Amino acid sequence: MSLAPHDSALSIAAHAHSILLVEDDLEIALNISRDLSRRGYSISHTATAQDGLAQARRGAFDLMIVDRMLDDIDGLTILETMRAEAMSKPVLVLSAMGGSEERVKGLRAGGDDYLIKPFDPEELVARIEALLRRSSSARETSLQVGPLKLDLIERSAWRDQREIDLLPREFKLLEYLMRHRDQVVTRAMLLEDIWQYKFVPETNLVDVHIGKLRRKIDGPGEPPMVLSVRRAGFMLSAPA
Amino acid sequence: MRLPELFRTSIFRLTAFFALGSAASSLILFGFIYWQTAVYEKGRITRLLMQEADIITSEPTDRIKQDVETNLAGDFHRATFAALFDAKGEYLVGNLSVIPKGLPSDGKVHDIYVDRNDDAFDVFENILAVARPLPDHGTLIIGRSIVELQNLRTIVTRSLLLGVFPAAILAILAGVGLSLRTQRRIVAANQTVARIMRGNLRERLPVKGTSDDFDRLTISVNRMLDEIERLVNQIRGVTDNIAHDLRTPLTRMHTRLIATRNESRDPNDIDDVVDRALTDLNLTLGIITALLRISEIEDGRRRAAFAILDMSDVVQTVADLYEPIAEEKNLEFDLDMSVTAQVRGDRELLIEAVANLVDNAIKYTPAGGKVCVRSFQDDRGAVVIRVADSGTGIPQSEYDAVFQRFYRSRATRHIQGHGLGLSLVQAIAHLHNFAIQISDGRPGAIFDLVCQIQSEQSAA
Repeated sequence: MSLAPHDSALSIAAHAHSILLVEDDLEIALNISRDLSRRGYSISHTATAQDGLAQARRGAFDLMIVDRMLDDIDGLTILETMRAEAMSKPVLVLSAMGGSEERVKGLRAGGDDYLIKPFDPEELVARIEALLRRSSSARETSLQVGPLKLDLIERSAWRDQREIDLLPREFKLLEYLMRHRDQVVTRAMLLEDIWQYKFVPETNLVDVHIGKLRRKIDGPGEPPMVLSVRRAGFMLSAPA
Repeated sequence: MRLPELFRTSIFRLTAFFALGSAASSLILFGFIYWQTAVYEKGRITRLLMQEADIITSEPTDRIKQDVETNLAGDFHRATFAALFDAKGEYLVGNLSVIPKGLPSDGKVHDIYVDRNDDAFDVFENILAVARPLPDHGTLIIGRSIVELQNLRTIVTRSLLLGVFPAAILAILAGVGLSLRTQRRIVAANQTVARIMRGNLRERLPVKGTSDDFDRLTISVNRMLDEIERLVNQIRGVTDNIAHDLRTPLTRMHTRLIATRNESRDPNDIDDVVDRALTDLNLTLGIITALLRISEIEDGRRRAAFAILDMSDVVQTVADLYEPIAEEKNLEFDLDMSVTAQVRGDRELLIEAVANLVDNAIKYTPAGGKVCVRSFQDDRGAVVIRVADSGTGIPQSEYDAVFQRFYRSRATRHIQGHGLGLSLVQAIAHLHNFAIQISDGRPGAIFDLVCQIQSEQSAA
């Protein structure tokens, strides 16, 4: 059931999205660039806020990653300037400052997501994917992934003709996975977005929840749809 | 000590001011007494002289001469002046040889200086006198010495000089003495403070034991120093613990990485070593994150973001997350939130606190046991969120210790964790003015989060 990293699943969506990376630590920047370009993104990197802002103004990118502690200035000031100049491209803020106050500050400045250093490359990629695809979440009344159908009005779930009996929390989890179909979602993303949990507990909370959901979605003999992605998280996909 | 420094002390200034003030008030008082006495005495003498003049002048002319003589003869104090002059101003009888200049013959009393014409003395003195014209155009002069008033003035002045000024000087000397004494204590205190600032936290300011104001100040400063020393030692202890708890996984990592570099070339081995190194690394990062979170919470700034929220919503969210975990571990999970409270707080943090308690309860309860989360009102009306389990429980002797950073009960040390969960819970409870209490569940442990009710909190 589990897929190795660098597998098709991780690079499907990355058709040459370009990412602007503003990060002053060269080793971290190099690692991020390597991880992302391996997955098909094109990266342009600058080390200072000034260059970062200049490039942002040129606008030749789909998503920006900005570090908070740059040599010259707090990365958030670039973000604030961008938002003030009505540049609406998604921005992911990186920071070693992990306090929730700092996170709120980052999101308030106009960041779309806030990732605390150090992080797994898989976490970064999953969040980039989520940000790049976010725009499609309109006000649907139902969601469909392959044979799986979710009625958001009646709060019912079907796999082909089989109705699946879900607890409210399982329904929320499935809805989230379906909205992020074919994307890797990490444990931290699930905790933050579904349960508003801003800390990662010591227990394997998310795995237990996913396990319970999986047993209901993937019946005996049915091809699996809820996949575990090793070292990264989970993904919902239509059976091949 | 240099003198100018002494004069600048508050005690010296106070005594100097006081001495000056009391001298001035004595001066005013004495002056007033003298002035009142003089006014009264002059009035009395004036009235007497007028009466006497009236009586004498109403008599026949030949009797007047006799009256003057009788008057003078009976005056043993030599305070009386009387004299008669004829129409041409020639001396007839009495102890004034001429009509004094400055004494008009107008029948009114005047304050003048005269030469007394006396056999024994020749005295120039201050008198009150009246000159009355007589029917035969002669002049009668009657007067009374007011030298007593002058004497009184002299006495008053002397008293002032002999009494008030030495007293003032004494006061100033006392001021100097007192300031010297205070100054010595301040110098001693300053030296102690300097030693404390150089890092000797065990030093205390000297206390004289007189329980004066300075002593009281010193004692409360010393108490503050006790508290600071306690906190510094506590921080030192925590720092040692942090160093130890971080060093353990880092050392494991270090040893394994070195061994792998030196020996193993098998890719499977290397994968395994990297995975285990990452686990240890994540443990250390987890410790750092938890520590930063605790200090962030203890800072108290988060109170600014408090909002009214429902505790049952908080508990429900946690139960939603943890119920499947309990099921998975074959534990009975019992939730009863029939009593709820509206509190002012931070939803995210309260969820974290309750989640930590539930997480612990599940972690420390063996399969087949029971974890129970319920709410009730205690006898003081506060709403209590109770997390109880049927696990190993906590010995009473460890009730306080479990909240200390990095403390892990001996009985549970084998279960994975960094020993910061309950410190975090306690920090969150303190931030909200909630209490956290442990009791024995026989079997198992009971954790009570005592929530202040909203009205109480706003009154506090």
